[in-house]
Amino acid sequence: MNVLFPRNMPQLVKALGEPGARILAGGTDLLVRLRAQPDAKLATLVSLDRVAALRGVALEKPGTVLRIGAASTHAELLAHPLVRARLPMLAQALATLGSPPIRNMGTLGGNICTASPAGDTLPPLLVLGAELELASASGTRSLPLADFLLGPGRTALQPGEALTAVRVPLPEPSARQHFEKVGRRDALAVAVVSLAALVRTGGKGAITSASLAWGAVAPGIWRCPEAEAALVGRKLTLSALNSAARIASSRVQPISDVRASADYRRSVTGNLLLRLAAL
Amino acid sequence: MSPKSRVSAAQRPCPQPSVRADALSKATGAERYALDLAPADCLFAGAFRPGAPSGSSPGIAHGRVRGLDTAAALAEPGVLRVLTAADVPGTNLQGIVHKDQPVLCGEVIRHAGDPVALVLAVSAEALRRGLAALRADIEPLPGVFDPAAALKKGAPLVHAQGHAAPKGGNLLLRAVIEKGDARKALRDAPVVVRGEFSTPAQEHAFLETQCGFAQVLPDGVLDMTVSTQAPFRDRFEIGHALGLDPFRIRVRAPYLGGGFGGKDGATVQCLLALAALKAEGRPVRMAWDREESILAGYKRHAVRLRCELGADSDGTLLAYSCRALYDTGAYAHLGGEVMELGMEHAAGPYRVPHTFVEGRCVYTNNPVAGAFRGFGVAQMSPAFEGLMDALAARLGMDPQALRRKNALRTGDTNSSGVTLTSSAHLAECLDALEAHPLWAGREAWREAAPPFIRRGVGVAAVFNGMGYGRGLPDMAIAKLELTGEGDFLVYSAVADMGQGNAAAFATLAAQELNQQPGAVRLLQPDTERCHPSGSSSAGRTTYTFGNALLKACAAMRDKLLSRAALFLLADDIAALELVPGAVRHKATDRMLPLAVLGRALERDDRVCVAEFLMPVAQDPPDTGRGFVIGFPHLFFAYAAHLARIEVDELTGRVRVCDYVCATDGGRVLDRSCFDQQAQGGAAQGIGFALTEDFSTRQGLILTGDLSTCLMPTALDLPDILSLAVEGDEPTGPRGLKGVGEVGLNGPAPALASALEDATGVRLRDFPLAPERVLAALKQRQGRARRKA
Ligand SMILES: Cc1cc2nc3c(=O)[nH]c(=O)nc-3n(C[C@H](O)[C@H](O)[C@H](O)COP(=O)(O)OP(=O)(O)OC[C@H]3O[C@@H](n4cnc5c(N)ncnc54)[C@H](O)[C@@H]3O)c2cc1C
Repeated sequence: MNVLFPRNMPQLVKALGEPGARILAGGTDLLVRLRAQPDAKLATLVSLDRVAALRGVALEKPGTVLRIGAASTHAELLAHPLVRARLPMLAQALATLGSPPIRNMGTLGGNICTASPAGDTLPPLLVLGAELELASASGTRSLPLADFLLGPGRTALQPGEALTAVRVPLPEPSARQHFEKVGRRDALAVAVVSLAALVRTGGKGAITSASLAWGAVAPGIWRCPEAEAALVGRKLTLSALNSAARIASSRVQPISDVRASADYRRSVTGNLLLRLAAL
Repeated sequence: MSPKSRVSAAQRPCPQPSVRADALSKATGAERYALDLAPADCLFAGAFRPGAPSGSSPGIAHGRVRGLDTAAALAEPGVLRVLTAADVPGTNLQGIVHKDQPVLCGEVIRHAGDPVALVLAVSAEALRRGLAALRADIEPLPGVFDPAAALKKGAPLVHAQGHAAPKGGNLLLRAVIEKGDARKALRDAPVVVRGEFSTPAQEHAFLETQCGFAQVLPDGVLDMTVSTQAPFRDRFEIGHALGLDPFRIRVRAPYLGGGFGGKDGATVQCLLALAALKAEGRPVRMAWDREESILAGYKRHAVRLRCELGADSDGTLLAYSCRALYDTGAYAHLGGEVMELGMEHAAGPYRVPHTFVEGRCVYTNNPVAGAFRGFGVAQMSPAFEGLMDALAARLGMDPQALRRKNALRTGDTNSSGVTLTSSAHLAECLDALEAHPLWAGREAWREAAPPFIRRGVGVAAVFNGMGYGRGLPDMAIAKLELTGEGDFLVYSAVADMGQGNAAAFATLAAQELNQQPGAVRLLQPDTERCHPSGSSSAGRTTYTFGNALLKACAAMRDKLLSRAALFLLADDIAALELVPGAVRHKATDRMLPLAVLGRALERDDRVCVAEFLMPVAQDPPDTGRGFVIGFPHLFFAYAAHLARIEVDELTGRVRVCDYVCATDGGRVLDRSCFDQQAQGGAAQGIGFALTEDFSTRQGLILTGDLSTCLMPTALDLPDILSLAVEGDEPTGPRGLKGVGEVGLNGPAPALASALEDATGVRLRDFPLAPERVLAALKQRQGRARRKA
């Protein structure tokens, strides 16, 4: 197996031009997949390990956007004061992702590019309205995360292109952020259902906007505008949440697999909304 | 907590070891496990299991082998041989009691993990390519995957032909335990509760997968080093399968990286031996990867039960009946014996005058079931404790009081008709829980549940038999040597799979010989250097070998005192004593260092050997019918477990918040080893009861790796508090009993009881998966709504 270690962006872009080159970030998804492939030995892997520009967290646009380097590890982000203070739902998602060793190796970019319907950071990043920054030999472009994710394991990433950063607009501190993952155990568990919710309320507690995204209940991250609409204008009460939950449960079309049945996923898709009443 | 011990200072003049004998070498990575000892020039052997699901096939659990194309595999560079059933000398049948499992299948595969070929290659990579290049033509046959369906007329036969076709179709064994007249007693009982229960298969998931290496030495001896729980018996199993003289097979068993029953019986042994026979004297190694370990390894038997419990209106138990169906999978392995032990425990650790227990152990095309910690009993405890809770509710009695009232005590006759001359302190275990703040404070704790969370507290009483039972002598032979350097070497002859028996042997010997812990060294089992002492299983390991070792130590002490008499000019042996590193003349304080004695004595004279045979029930009752061996048992460890749980109403997930086990394992020799057994058993039982959910469909494993077969992690387990209820088993080495297994039997019933306390619903099918819990909560809400 050939592994290249570019040290800066120009070297990275060049390395990605090698025939059959694949990006290796933390390797926690890629190496598992390669293990099952007999021809894995022939692969050329391009490690992001030495490219400093892909790491780190910075405030942009006078304090309204957080720019996160794509190769930042989950553990680095989880320890970052701005992530914890301003993006608690992302921090909650990172805290339940894998286990300490996985969080030490795995990166945000890897989680996004894997594009798993159970990827833990995807629902929060979607409701937060994250934008991706992509770079290749022909320059850089930016794309909303929602347009980047095309299906299970499928993204808009072009050959020779790397995800360099994730730009996350920071919600005002008064907005409510919530993430919950239901797995079959408390660590090293793939999500059976997950929910990210960003709820803003106006005067007298009426909800002005609600963004909801569910993981692991559809081929991609699942959104339910009808449930969001049902919350707007109401207070964040159990009865409002119950009606949104009923809508979500009736609309979602999950599958059964070894982790859970479709019925279970359907019930929990709605139920998780109720937790917002207890926050 | 400070260790409580009733062993007096006089009995324990030397300090306790601060850590168990194997702790440091294991913690530092210095300990050598089987494969660590393999020579560098080993060949690699691997089994071809064509029923396994692969990219090109969904998998086949039952099929006829129509052909095997080995040409492409043999053409791979580095592939030396491809062996098939035709290459197997001997009977080609392995098995501990029933010999029905081919080493390599020639005509039929009976489960998806059955091997049809063995590849021998010069490297791991060549082996991988060779295995990938093999092609088998397997014609799928109709299979049976449900033990009840397997018993129906016209069901496909798992062993239709060849070797071991049983007379009873797919029935491996039917057996009955009958005491008194349970049917009549149940008819007449003022109160009767009943229920159906089921528990799933379980994966052992030891850290060290099945592995070993082997070599035919120039003198023809087959020398093997294997991760095995039964090195002595392995020789006979290999010898029978491959037509070899068992006494020309040497098996060494270094420390195992876990066993739990899954390495009791042939795993790699016969395949490795076969490979070595065809390797022209070169050493060969074999190690299963995790997927192969799950695919081909043994499982806990999935069991279904139908039970009835009858009692008087004051809670005195009158009768118990139980019908049990054990799914043994494709081969017998220890199916009959596992079922036997389960049946003996069917009615719980209680006095029950009338019992009827019927067990049927059935072949299917599911993965092979075998021994697993809690050997058949872990499947019974959810039922007997479930019915005890139901009875308490019916009678409006405190469930703890009901248990205590009926708990077996020394002198009682148990449900198999055995009079317990052995120690029994279940009532004290229950007392210990009742006195615990987690029990006393349960109401307040339950009331303080946060939104969407329900809390519940549950208790279960369990037990587990010790030893092989009647008909199979439970014997160990200990050998002890004073070395030329003046320290002691214990020839441990029962494998240590991590449970700490080797460390216990070192402690026992050091205490008995009055030496510092460091003065006793251990040799791990080796059939050439140690004496046959049976398997590491059945809660017998420390008890049986420990007793033999104490006898050997006593003989050694007598010998050393008398040999020293000459040097110390003592004409009265009683004037001498063993002290650390020396023999001492008490009156004059003159010393003879053991190092001098070690040099002075011939090696033959520095060795003591002694054996011990576990006592069995005298005048055994004629209550059991159909058992081959192993009925009944006389000694039992007891335990009571308490679980406090939270149930999430929104997700059905159960979180174990607090867990306490109170265990009667006789006297405690080493408190940390004792606690580790209780805690490890409870943790494994929690996995069994809650998260693991080993599952198959049409015989194909759905949970084939550790991302789907979900062992609990550190985050899923609370700190498990272990309380020792010290009794004294008079026949045990320093009063101890085996405690390795009983801990596994508690969690399933304790958690189900806590869940009922939290939700009002009793689940009788395990695991208590979120799915089932949520459905039960919904049903109950629906019922409540209809009532309102
Ligand atoms: C035991 C275990 C537990 C896990 N638990 C969870 C969990 O709970 N939740 C969860 O969501 N995931 C989990 N995962 C999956 C994985 O750890 C995460 O998705 C992780 O974020 C992947 O990041 P990585 O850096 O390791 O990616 P890699 O494996 O290095 O890469 C993954 C894919 O993304 C591509 N890629 C990576 N970085 C870039 C980039 N900057 N630009 C373009 N392409 C890129 C790679 O080429 C590859 O195709 C688990 C994995 C394991 C092995």
